[in-house]
Amino acid sequence: MPPTIRRALDVLYTACGAIAAVAIVAIVLLILTQVAARMFAFPFRGGAQYAGYAMATASFFGFAYALQHGAHIRVSLLLTALGRHRFWGEVWCYGFSTIVAIWFAWQACLFTYQTWRFKDVSQGLDATPLWIPQMAMAIGSVVLAIAFVDNLITLLTTGKPVVDEGGLEDSAPTSVADVHAKRGE
Amino acid sequence: MDQLTASLVFVAFLFVLLGSGVWVGLSLIGVAYVGIELIAGRASGGAMINIIWGASSSWTLTALPLFIWMGEILFRTRLSEDMFKGLSPWLGRLPGGLVHTNIVGCTVFAAVSGSSAATLTTVGRMSIPELRKREYPEHLVIGTLAGAATLGLMIPPSLMFIVYGVTINESIRELFIAGTIPGLVLASLFMLYVGGYALISKKWNPVADKPMNIGQKLWNSRFLLPVIALIVLVIGSMYAGIATATEAAAFGVIGALVLAAAQGSLTLHAFKESLMGAVRTSAMIALILAGAAFLSLAMGYTGLPRALADSIATLELSRFELLMALLVFYIVLGCFLDGISSIVLTMAIVEPMIRDAGIDVIWFGVFVTVVIEMAQITPPIGFNLFVMQGLTKHSMGYIAKAALPMFAIMVVMAFLLIAFPEMATWLPDVLRPNPNG
Repeated sequence: MPPTIRRALDVLYTACGAIAAVAIVAIVLLILTQVAARMFAFPFRGGAQYAGYAMATASFFGFAYALQHGAHIRVSLLLTALGRHRFWGEVWCYGFSTIVAIWFAWQACLFTYQTWRFKDVSQGLDATPLWIPQMAMAIGSVVLAIAFVDNLITLLTTGKPVVDEGGLEDSAPTSVADVHAKRGE
Repeated sequence: MDQLTASLVFVAFLFVLLGSGVWVGLSLIGVAYVGIELIAGRASGGAMINIIWGASSSWTLTALPLFIWMGEILFRTRLSEDMFKGLSPWLGRLPGGLVHTNIVGCTVFAAVSGSSAATLTTVGRMSIPELRKREYPEHLVIGTLAGAATLGLMIPPSLMFIVYGVTINESIRELFIAGTIPGLVLASLFMLYVGGYALISKKWNPVADKPMNIGQKLWNSRFLLPVIALIVLVIGSMYAGIATATEAAAFGVIGALVLAAAQGSLTLHAFKESLMGAVRTSAMIALILAGAAFLSLAMGYTGLPRALADSIATLELSRFELLMALLVFYIVLGCFLDGISSIVLTMAIVEPMIRDAGIDVIWFGVFVTVVIEMAQITPPIGFNLFVMQGLTKHSMGYIAKAALPMFAIMVVMAFLLIAFPEMATWLPDVLRPNPNG
């Protein structure tokens, strides 16, 4: 893969991770505002819905970023047992997952498009046009699909995926998330 | 396709996907697709995206990233050092000595953290070197730490209870309250074991610290104040009924940030690292939950859970026999799958069973969490074993063997829960905000 595309993709995943991080901060702020609204009796409607949208944003934008850091859980007993034939196991895993991710991304885009066409509005107090928060799902799942295609191509051309899946044995964990990430290893 | 063949195909496909190493969340989506399109013969796309959007944008779920973030922030503070300094003067004179700091430290830290990994890494980073320095038996240090760290799943806040509550649509706050007493009982059982071991063992001869008088002890306890303040903030606000689980989580994040800032460990770098760590772990769990939401829908279409619940009902198992079957089932499953996946994967099938049997679902949440805790320290993929391996460089087999007595204690705990269900149900009953509701 040409280095410019490689770099562009890595920036894309990191940027999505950053958006997810902002969404988590937004959840904290929304909830605190809601608590303050209750205490000081000023109106703040739909805080729970907004926090929910931020949650979806944090998740969907985080998917590809988490994948690149090897954070998603899988059972790798068999893959490890395959030894030098592990390549074929990985081809199956990335191949299957790529198909699922593309199907999911397609459905997410279709769904968001329909929400926009029919002007669906949230049932909650916020009355948000739902296509706006659903864009997070559409974009996030498209980026996840891109990440899987990226990994599959890299795997087929170089024999190794982009995903960093080092063993926990090599070094003491520097982050709780790393520990979670290696639980399947 | 008749029901039996369909069910077999469904379950076999699930095992093939999971076993071959496909990511758990995506495996669940793939299996659910097969269930709806091929077995029930309907289009699945629209139904899938609807339910996944609903599950992913739910208000209850927001507690998850916040508690994860809180753990990530505290991991980067000096909290574990402080806890050791505050606890050791009090625990050093007990039979079993400072090994108790492992257990009490984990219990206290579990009350501000939702995962056993966070508990294990944070407490272990401090207590392992300190206990080694004083020549405590290595296997006891390792074993108690691996075992007690699983209290992170039981003592509120707990990621396991959030996932369980979201999956079966029950109050997370109530689950948090229900886990408290069983968590403390389990911690006491661990301490009894350590005390007993120290009294019986002939080779027990650790290096004793200089004894302190009561004034010095109390003065040293000041190191415990930050963590106690955080516990009061997070758990206290939930118990007092003034905050939901999510609101308590937001308080906790702010409290943890203030604590980190006060200690001077809140650099911009640490802040970013903690937040990005939270993004990764929470996305990881969210993907599993998204897949699980779709899978439960698919299971509904196939009629599998109902059929299974009915056929279990015809067996006329007593409640005890059903629980024993589930106990064995989850221990075996836990050998191959992490706790969160095993819960979300099975609840669609297990929930109707336990409701039919008249088992309280909040109580069952606590029960299944004890079993998941056992799974954390059983090979081949016990989660805490990996973490411990990273911390101590011992082999997996050694750690698993050292943790075996803790496993046995947890089995005892599961039976105690069956014998005395009030352990889990009493406190939620007392603290329920509106008794008439």
